[in-house]
Amino acid sequence: MNCDWVKDNVALYVYDELADDARHEVEQHAQRCPACADELKDMKRFHRRMSEMPVLEVTPNLLASARMELQEALEDAEQARGWHKFVFDPMSWLRAARFSPALAAVLLMVGFGAGVGTTYQLAKGGKVPAAAVERHQEAAIAGIRNITQDPGTNQVKIEYERTLPEHVQGPVEDPQIQQLLLMAARSNYNSGVRMDSIDLLKQKPDDGRVRESLIFSLRYDSNPGVRLKALEALTGEVKGDIRVRNAMLEALLNDNNAGVRTGALHALEQVRADTSVRQALQQLADEDPNQYIRQESRRVLASTPEID
Amino acid sequence: MVGQSPSRINDADLIREAQQGNKTAFEELVRQYDGAVLRLALHLTGSEQDAKDIYQDAFLKAYRNLGSFRFECSFYTWIYRIVTNLCLDHLRRRQVRKEDAPVLTDEHGEQYSLLDQVADERAGASPERDLMRREMGHRINRALSKLTPRERMVFEMKHYQGLKLRTIGEALNTTEETAKNTLFRATQKLRAVLADLR
Repeated sequence: MNCDWVKDNVALYVYDELADDARHEVEQHAQRCPACADELKDMKRFHRRMSEMPVLEVTPNLLASARMELQEALEDAEQARGWHKFVFDPMSWLRAARFSPALAAVLLMVGFGAGVGTTYQLAKGGKVPAAAVERHQEAAIAGIRNITQDPGTNQVKIEYERTLPEHVQGPVEDPQIQQLLLMAARSNYNSGVRMDSIDLLKQKPDDGRVRESLIFSLRYDSNPGVRLKALEALTGEVKGDIRVRNAMLEALLNDNNAGVRTGALHALEQVRADTSVRQALQQLADEDPNQYIRQESRRVLASTPEID
Repeated sequence: MVGQSPSRINDADLIREAQQGNKTAFEELVRQYDGAVLRLALHLTGSEQDAKDIYQDAFLKAYRNLGSFRFECSFYTWIYRIVTNLCLDHLRRRQVRKEDAPVLTDEHGEQYSLLDQVADERAGASPERDLMRREMGHRINRALSKLTPRERMVFEMKHYQGLKLRTIGEALNTTEETAKNTLFRATQKLRAVLADLR
């Protein structure tokens, strides 16, 4: 082992990526060689400095919101398999074109032809069709996604999203209505709308998707009123579904709203013999900041037969 | 145990169920790894919105392509491979636009860096000390932005995520040796830029 080897591996030393014998040799070498000892000391100082840097951490709110948006997106997502592979997918053609000069040339020619045709049509009309412009004006701009300028020109490309108000009407059991209600329950920014959707969804708590959505609202909705609505809708399922019971227990122990905790306590009373429920009630009886919840927990525990 | 699944199903079972179209199984898989994925994206982009976009793109891509997952590597490596590719694309785009650390605008139109929102909650923290730490944070952030996207990625995965170089190599579709060399170059560059930080 020489000084060059130590200098090349000193980063691996501080990041714990050297084998034990190599680590030992680095330490032995540094004891004999002041230059390498300085290098090692400097590297350790660098590592400490970088570790002291304040870093962004994922907050529970950020994680919950990312999960909520992902679940919404997953509702529309399909897995690529079976007949999907044979459906015309322009993006996959373009990806393939990157590796196939012949296909790329064909696509370019088709694109050029289509472009000439469109320009000809526009030129005959003299201006952009008014209907297209009107549609842009009807829809509000929801947000700007990206702005890029072509280098060396004054051309700017702005990508934005538009929202177009629509409405749909139908019976509550209609699949499209159900789909929209599920979406509203999870992601609508208006808590009143989330409550209304849960009120309608709770008519079908035995539907798997509805139950998932209600559990999600009980766990993650920011509004205690919505969480309480979801909790009420799930109360009848506590006995039969372990996932509902777990969600209730989480609410019982962790929800910051005393009303939701009280609701969960009463819902879980029907399964008070469950060991997890008894443990949670004991914890609440000892530690809950709310006096009513402490009393109620003791009452339910007192009426629970001990199981050894 | 309160708050945990009644039975811990392993990844392979969950993947097989998800491959049959069971979205609940896929969501269970997501929950096992999504904290780490979001943290990686947040550190690399410095923006909550960009991190959420990458998070969503990564898991949607995983869901859509789950049918082609052949258990040749762990799901952990596979999802990291997807997310590191998306992060690398993001870093490359940002480098083309020559952006520094992202700056946000609050409701009064004032600009601020997300890093300014990171509080020092350790015992003995004082406003002066906090300010110094923030300034040091900005300097380190600028130094990190000078690395190539790949060096930045390897350094992030090693220093902040604590992953082994072998895992990093697998996630980046390269060898452990290449990951080692990239880490070496990244630390050398950072040490040179931050040499006066004592």
